[in-house]
Amino acid sequence: MSLSIAIVVGILMGTVFGFALEKSRVFEPGIIVGQMQLRNFIMLKVFLTAVATGAVVLAALNGFGIVKLQPKAALYAADIVGGLILGVGIALAGACPGTTLVQIGAGYRDALFTFAGGLVGAVAFSYAQPWFNTTLLSSGSGKIIFSDLIGIPYWTGALALAAVLVVVIALLERWRPWRDEMGHDVDGDMGTASSSRESQSRIAPAE
Amino acid sequence: MPTLTDRAWSPYVAGILIGLLQIPAFMLIETALGASSSYVTVGGLIASWIDPSILRIDYVAKHVAASAKNWWQVAFVASIAIGALVSAKLSGAKRQTISPIWERALGSASPAKRYAVAFVAGFLMLFGARIADGCTSGHGLSGMAQLAVGSTVAVAAMFAGGIAAALLLLRRI
Repeated sequence: MSLSIAIVVGILMGTVFGFALEKSRVFEPGIIVGQMQLRNFIMLKVFLTAVATGAVVLAALNGFGIVKLQPKAALYAADIVGGLILGVGIALAGACPGTTLVQIGAGYRDALFTFAGGLVGAVAFSYAQPWFNTTLLSSGSGKIIFSDLIGIPYWTGALALAAVLVVVIALLERWRPWRDEMGHDVDGDMGTASSSRESQSRIAPAE
Repeated sequence: MPTLTDRAWSPYVAGILIGLLQIPAFMLIETALGASSSYVTVGGLIASWIDPSILRIDYVAKHVAASAKNWWQVAFVASIAIGALVSAKLSGAKRQTISPIWERALGSASPAKRYAVAFVAGFLMLFGARIADGCTSGHGLSGMAQLAVGSTVAVAAMFAGGIAAALLLLRRI
């Protein structure tokens, strides 16, 4: 595919992705920090639904031989160390690398600093990458996927994962209905909205 | 029925739409959804204006190369902001410039403090994502859907790091 068509496809897909992320509210710091403090589960609901959908889609596309899978190599030390650092960053940013752009589009000014920090972090890693290449990133187990380990076709494993996730999501929704987790301003902020309403109602009779 | 002017969609409607984006990614670009490599493409390019020798690092050269995959992802990630802007405008959402939760989470209403924390957080996110070779999109959405073993380990580590930081470094929101 030519570069210019790839860019046009990227613009169209990114616009849909950003639209869906904004509507899902999963970019809100109140929802991401709330998830990491185990008070709000909208992030997990969006994430698991997208994974289950992706698994069904790829089971079909790969099962019928239309596309090849593109799994990343398993480098356990790098996956764990990198994942932990990334996780700390996500909690303190109240965003992840993709949702930082949603926050910028939705008008959060601090997200510009998150984005700038991200560019600097990516460049800092780039300078250090030759060193990482000889240490954490030197030995991997290759592009292994669970279905190969068990010895079943990918599509069977992917559909099984999707089925399990549907049950998990249904239980999650039953335990915590998503409408109850949005908050007054649909930003996952349950604190200030209710307390300001309380103080207003307390002031009102005095007036 | 979800409409374009809703303030919020059900997480399940949004999640299905996001998952369906794997179809054009795999069929047209022969790649999986991801976001963090584009920071190397853009950051590496900007850095090369100041320090051209950065392009001698194979990793950077590979990421800034004029390939469909590299620049598809840059276009994809940049356009996320456009989609979000359109959605927010259609729903008439009015946001403060900093989420009200940060005053409680950081114990301070100072924008300067929030900006400093955001910058450090962004640095950690991308430094960690590049060590792990993927973020919540590449390892999370795409890796887990592909049953990738390394991605599942990476996602578990992301949540472990995120939960620890949110409970130990931030105040209750």
